[in-house]
Formats: sequence, C-alpha cells, structure tokens
Amino acid sequence: MTDDTEPMTDGGTDESARTDGGAPATVPPDDETPSWTERKEHSQGLAQLTYQYFERSRREDEDLRAESTYVERDVLGFPTWPHETIRNLAIASFFVGMMVFIAALMPPHFGHPANPGSTPAIILPDWYLYWSFGLLKLNPLNPELAVLGGNILIGNEFLGIVAHGILFGFIGLVPFLNKGNARRPVEEPFWAGVGMAGVVLSLTLAALAIQNFFPFELELLITLTFLLPVLAGVITYAVLKTMREGYSYDLNRRYFMLRPPK
Amino acid sequence: MSLKKRDEMDHNAWLKSQDLTVIETAFLTTLIWIDKRLRIVDYLELLETMYYRANLQMPKSHTEQYDLDNKFWYWYPLYSLGSLSILAYLVAAVSGALLGFYYSPSTAGAAVQGDPTAAYNSVVTILQDVQFGFMLRSIHNWAAQFMVAAVFLHMLRVYFTGAYKEPREVNWILGVILIGLTLFFGFSGYVLPWKQLSFWAAQIGVEMALATPIVGEWAAQLLFGGFTLGQATLVRMYILHVFVLPFVVTSLIALHVGIVWVQGIAEPH
Repeated sequence: MTDDTEPMTDGGTDESARTDGGAPATVPPDDETPSWTERKEHSQGLAQLTYQYFERSRREDEDLRAESTYVERDVLGFPTWPHETIRNLAIASFFVGMMVFIAALMPPHFGHPANPGSTPAIILPDWYLYWSFGLLKLNPLNPELAVLGGNILIGNEFLGIVAHGILFGFIGLVPFLNKGNARRPVEEPFWAGVGMAGVVLSLTLAALAIQNFFPFELELLITLTFLLPVLAGVITYAVLKTMREGYSYDLNRRYFMLRPPK
Repeated sequence: MSLKKRDEMDHNAWLKSQDLTVIETAFLTTLIWIDKRLRIVDYLELLETMYYRANLQMPKSHTEQYDLDNKFWYWYPLYSLGSLSILAYLVAAVSGALLGFYYSPSTAGAAVQGDPTAAYNSVVTILQDVQFGFMLRSIHNWAAQFMVAAVFLHMLRVYFTGAYKEPREVNWILGVILIGLTLFFGFSGYVLPWKQLSFWAAQIGVEMALATPIVGEWAAQLLFGGFTLGQATLVRMYILHVFVLPFVVTSLIALHVGIVWVQGIAEPH
C-alpha cells in the first residue's frame, strides 16, 4: 500500500506520524501471510474497531510525548543498589522489630474454652470489626424505616447486612463519583468532608458496638452515631474552604501554571 | 552460494591493527576464542542489562519536578503503609505456618459443654509447652493487628490524596475487596482457637448469613458447614484461613501491586 492519499483512520494529516496505510517498514511478507493492511481490511466489526482504536491511542501517546515538556536528567534519583535496597531493608527491619517488640510487651489474652450452653455477657470481635458489629446493632432504627402502618420492611439482622452493602457499595463507587485531577483535600473540600465523615462514622459505629460502656441512653447514642460524622464533615468542609484561598496562591504558582487545567 | 568459508568480521586482523599491550592482547584473544565457540557476548549483554537495571537512574519524580521537596518529606510515612501491610502479612504468614505445625482443628475431647476441645488444648500446648510458642502466637496476633491497621490507614491515605482517581478505579475496587478479605482473614483466625469469644463471634457470623435472603442458607453451609456451629465450622474456618485465603489474598496483592507498577504511583500535586 503506497497510496499516500489514503486517509488516516484517525483523521491525522502529519505524514511522518503515519502508522496506518503507509509503506511497509519491514521486509514484505510472502503471499501466504496477510499484511497488517490486509488484516485490517479483512477484519470487521469489533476487531476492526479495536484495531482503529489502537491506532488512535498509539497516535495519542506520540502526540502527548511530542508536546511534553518533561525534563530527563542524567542523575535523577537514588540507585536501586545499594542506596534504595539498604534503605528499604532498614525500614523493613524497623517495622518487623516493632512488631516483635510489641508482641513481647503485650501478648494477647487467651480466654475460656467455647461453651455453646452459656452466652457471655459481652460478645465482641477484634477491634477492627467493631464498626461492622456496630452496623448490626442498628435494629432500633428499623421501625423508623417502616412505612404503611409500622410493618418493618426487612428483618433486623438483614438490615445490618444491607447497611454493610450500602457502605461497601458507596466506597467502591467513589472513583466514579469523584472525577477530575484534584489531589489535595484543599482542592476538594466537599470530598475531604465526606472522607472525614466516613472516618468519624467508623469510630461512632465502633462506639455503638461497645454501647454497654457508655453511660447514656441508646437513643442518644444512635443519634450521635449519625450526627457526629455529619458534624465532622461540615467542620472539615468549612475549614478547608477557608484554607483554600491562602493555599491556592501557592498551588497556582507551583502547579497550575505548569499544568493548566483543561 | 560458495563453499568458501567467509569471515566477514575478521577479529584477528582487527586485533593486529590495534596497538595493544601484551595483557590486552591476551585478554582479547581469549575472549574472541571463547566467544567464537560459546557466543558469550549474548550473556554479557544480559549481564550488562541486569547491571543497568540494578543501577537504574530513576526519572525525575513529581516531587522534584514541581519543587515540592521542602514540604513533602513528612508525608513519606503515609506512603509506606502499603509496604507495611505486605510486610506484616509476610510476618503473619511465617509465624502462622509455624503455629500450624502444632494446631489441630478439632472440637473433639469435650465431654461436657464448656470443656476444652482439642483445638483449644492444642493452643494451650503452644502457649505452655512449645519452645517460643507463646511468643509465636503473640507475634502472629500482632502481625495481624498491624496488617489490618496498615490496610485501613493505607485506604485513608489513598482517599485523601485522591490517588484512586481516573485511571486507577480498578485498583481502588481491588483494594476494597482486599480489605474485606483481610477482615475475613482476621475473623477466621479469631474463630480457630475455639475459645468462648471465638465461638460466639462465629455464632454472629452464622446468624448474619442466615438473615440474608436467597443466598443466606447456602452461604452458611459453604462457610460455616451448617446452621449450628461444630466440627464442620472449625475445619472450614481452618481451611479458609490457612489454604484458600492465603492463595487468594496473595494473588490479589500481587495484582494490586502489579497494577501500581504498571500505572505508576499517584503522587499528590
């Protein structure tokens, strides 16, 4: 294929960047082997689209590289050996040492053998599941979610499982809800507020799990469980919004001038 | 094609044309002699590539490019949380394998409700009779605590620096799955000693499973071996803890880190 008037699949005009339809760059294949051009012509539907997309993305990469101002230097960082390796070994040794040290200082308690016949007064999982255990104790909320004459919609235990699903679902959806290339909390006070609300919610849910230790009414505790996170979120939002003005000056100077927002 | 032997690269003639010392001539003659027979140049190239890989000069980092060095260093510990969780995972794996030599997942031996079972007794043996057994269990426990804590903090770091954004959604979701599996790892390990709290934690697990419509009973049978706790539950938790989860979590961690490797670390702006 030497026809130079052949249009490029991505509508490009720069002949030197042509990746499709140009003269073959390597030894021409024999008659048996279809050339790339022939394959492209023969392929239809999804295969052809895939091929065309690859052409486009390859061109996009080339363009991005061409217009990049990225500077490469001769000596740019720590060599892997010995500097980086020794630093990593030092950090790893430190952390493992900390683990062994704390393990020696605070060995875990070992309780009584299992007795299916007697339920202990306080059942608790390890600390990292307190939030989950707190979600299982939301059953006082269940009647309030009910409609139509107070018949509860779902069982008390299932409510806890639904709450888990909602929480994990929301966390999984975060990257699809929050787009853009803002990276610092000051750039996005709203999402930082959501994050702080989440952190506080996990703590208040943990408090709900160990409700026996709190000397006030359960109703108040449940109210606080949901009120405190919102409060924390609002405060975070307000603080960051206030900080933003002063912060933006520095950010603008350092970053936005170098990489202007699209 | 002629039968005459061709020597396009006349290395000996090139050697003669050079002005070399005796040592250099001897070295090059030996090298050429060996290379003609074994083609060691290929391996030398491999070695050279390895040398340059090992002494790789890193590209200019984001921190350097935007001159953030002076105010960036104190965030570094937060960027080592992922490594820390892997490290804790490795410590837990090694100590757990050693504990596994002495542990037996069996509820046999309890004549009356509340008597110690074989599983409980094997942990007592580890604590009292096995050399360093008490320390080993303590290390295993604390490595697990460290891992869970590091994983939670790692998630917070990723959230608050926006590192989950556009090209990295898949890795975020993978991370959420890994957190769930880490918690399940901890839960299944909590059940194994078959102490009072283990039993009732597992009881809550079964009740949660049974409260779920449609898949609940199936999940209870799969994970807990039935609707009431017993030998089947313990063996299932044991196999999950020492066989299934290690394979699944290790491969997912490898994938997680592999994607970070391919996509590059998302440094804050």
